[in-house]
Amino acid sequence: MIAREMFEQFKQRFGPLIVRADLPSDNRLFVFVDPSSVRYVTQHIFRELDARYVATIGADDRPFSGKFLVAHNFAFDKEHLLCGILAYLPPDKPQIDSITDMVPAASWGEREMRDLVGIEPVGHRYLKRLVLPDGWPEGSHPLRKDTLWNEVPAQYDPEREFKFDEAPEGCMVIPFGPFHPTLDEPAHFRLFVEGEMVRGCEYRGFMVHRGIEKLAESVMNYNDIPMLAERICGICGCVHNVAYVQSVEEAAALKPPPRAEYIRTIMLELERLHSHLLWVGLACHIVGFDTLFMQSFRIREPIMWMAEKISGNRKTYALCVIGGVRWNITPELKLELRSVLDKLESEWRPVVAAVSHDKNIQKRTCGVGVADAGQVKSMGLIGPVARAAGVDIDCRRDHPYAAYDRVEFDVITEQGADVWSRLLVRAKEVFESIRIIRQCLDKMEDGPLQLEIKDELPIGRMGLSSVEAPRGESHHFVITGENNRPRRWRVRAPTYQNLQGIPAMIKDQQIADMTISLGSIDPCFSCTDRLETVDVRSGSVKVWSQEELLKLTRKKVEG
Amino acid sequence: MLKNLCQKMFGRSLWVYHANSGGCNGCDIEVLNALTPYYDVERFGIKLVGSPRHADVMLCQGPAMRSTAQALKRAYDAMPAPKLVFAIGSCACGGGLWFDSYSVIGPVEKIIPVSYYIPGCPPRPEAIIYGVAVALGLVDKKTAPVAFKELELPIPQYHPGDLRGEGELVVYEKAEKV
Ligand code: SF4
Repeated sequence: MIAREMFEQFKQRFGPLIVRADLPSDNRLFVFVDPSSVRYVTQHIFRELDARYVATIGADDRPFSGKFLVAHNFAFDKEHLLCGILAYLPPDKPQIDSITDMVPAASWGEREMRDLVGIEPVGHRYLKRLVLPDGWPEGSHPLRKDTLWNEVPAQYDPEREFKFDEAPEGCMVIPFGPFHPTLDEPAHFRLFVEGEMVRGCEYRGFMVHRGIEKLAESVMNYNDIPMLAERICGICGCVHNVAYVQSVEEAAALKPPPRAEYIRTIMLELERLHSHLLWVGLACHIVGFDTLFMQSFRIREPIMWMAEKISGNRKTYALCVIGGVRWNITPELKLELRSVLDKLESEWRPVVAAVSHDKNIQKRTCGVGVADAGQVKSMGLIGPVARAAGVDIDCRRDHPYAAYDRVEFDVITEQGADVWSRLLVRAKEVFESIRIIRQCLDKMEDGPLQLEIKDELPIGRMGLSSVEAPRGESHHFVITGENNRPRRWRVRAPTYQNLQGIPAMIKDQQIADMTISLGSIDPCFSCTDRLETVDVRSGSVKVWSQEELLKLTRKKVEG
Repeated sequence: MLKNLCQKMFGRSLWVYHANSGGCNGCDIEVLNALTPYYDVERFGIKLVGSPRHADVMLCQGPAMRSTAQALKRAYDAMPAPKLVFAIGSCACGGGLWFDSYSVIGPVEKIIPVSYYIPGCPPRPEAIIYGVAVALGLVDKKTAPVAFKELELPIPQYHPGDLRGEGELVVYEKAEKV
């Protein structure tokens, strides 16, 4: 009864500030507080109780409660609790105190909320537009319920170009992207360099917005959305698919049959296998080790075939429906999967041995792109990036879902905090995934694949789900709604957090290390940019303020 | 006509540039996959290049987004003629799942002329290679008339009204007032 204990603790501490609380299950807690005390409560949770910041969500709740809703989600990893701090805001001029001075990681979340829902974070220090373009008229917010999903305001001006910040004195600007050779997806970085050294950068991304959340809230239904969710990202699609379904199931208090849970676990781990092998290949390609690039793709291919045999498609598995899964793993498939795993393991072992003694790779990656434990906490970095800095978090163990509470595995950590450690973490996690799948195959019991759902899903309930994607924690938040679709669905993909750590990672590094540093978080821009935005010039993110950069540059000049 | 042109112009080798204008990664990886040992398109002289200025062919993935339309157009203009454009995946061919979302313009043909379409979500590497091989005249086009029928999907859909049932949901403790 962690949720209840924590709630008692809050009650003693904050007393009358708490307006209402929902305890949907043992490890979920929603606390509604007075808007003016959000800052105070989050400070306590983040600083004293040492919670990890997860996501900020803004929602237009006016058609239902006549108010706006803001949620800051936190995770207590050791206590296995996911907790939301929510506040209702008045319908006219919604605003809330910013928490970014305590929790820098909330910066993007709050700016996104301001752009899309029109909730003003008061006291945020860098309120440049994040998601919406400069050509988008003030006061038009696509995620408000009175805007249609295919509506572009008449005042929208596609010609208006984005204004970049001036480069600091003494620095050259190098544009990087939007279509570049090392990464597949469009994103644009402007590097401020001094000689060979990178002094700062400005990120202009959010180019892959497809309006997914808005589509889901306005035209799809509960069982369409899993297919939409897995097309958020082609690499870790199944993660989004499962995370969405789980958050709806949680909101509706449904429990899928055990066999379905095992199958979900197996598919998630298969996906992790192919994603990690892909990443190791690409990372080697970036540092110029093409042999291993080819090798790891060769080793990876049988996994894709296996996935196709199980689900009928190599990538987009279309695995989940609310309350279950659609594909079965038959005894023949089981046998075949086992032999694929055996082969994979025997082929991957020599690769890891070769890589971990390779002096060239070590030289290119040791001490590059460092993000230490302090940054992990303040920027909310997750996944292999956090684990490579010795921060022992893994949603599979901390917030177990599907069948992860019934299998044994180790969480791999390293201490180096650099690209090299991230490489090691990923390479070793492959073996853990193989171990997990084998256990699932052993333990999987017979039974139905889907739950029979007799009731209509309840309305207005909230569900949270965190799933450990290959890149880190993928967090979904759902409020169930009318018309067979959710009212609000918010996706926080892992790259959304990890990308915010990039400026710190590449600062004062050689420009040649930029690509591998960026590559090391395994960025997935289509995940990050899943929202709605319109212009190429949109969404510049400058995580560094001008003053800081200037100060940096000056220090260099003086020194 | 196009086929003759292809054979004449690109007889020996084809340098391709791949541009993702806003899809998920699915199609990207399949294109990458086509380069790796199992499929190995380099044996047909097909090579991936990093700049549109070196390329004969552009492989487009993902729908045309409002945000990337200009960049896509610029990349296309930067390619030397004669040039071909392949639309890879349902997104590039027809706009995909999000064809009418307000941040999406639609299929890439709305921005640049497309010569060949390779559908699929994502298309298999074999399909991509086959498409390119057809363009090169290495294999013949195989077509057969197919009539599609809408299938009854075995997925339950919960519509309010017809599924109203008994039963109470137990776990959710609502609104504990303090
Ligand atoms: S066609 Fe499918 S796999 Fe390809 S980019 Fe579009 S959604 Fe992704």
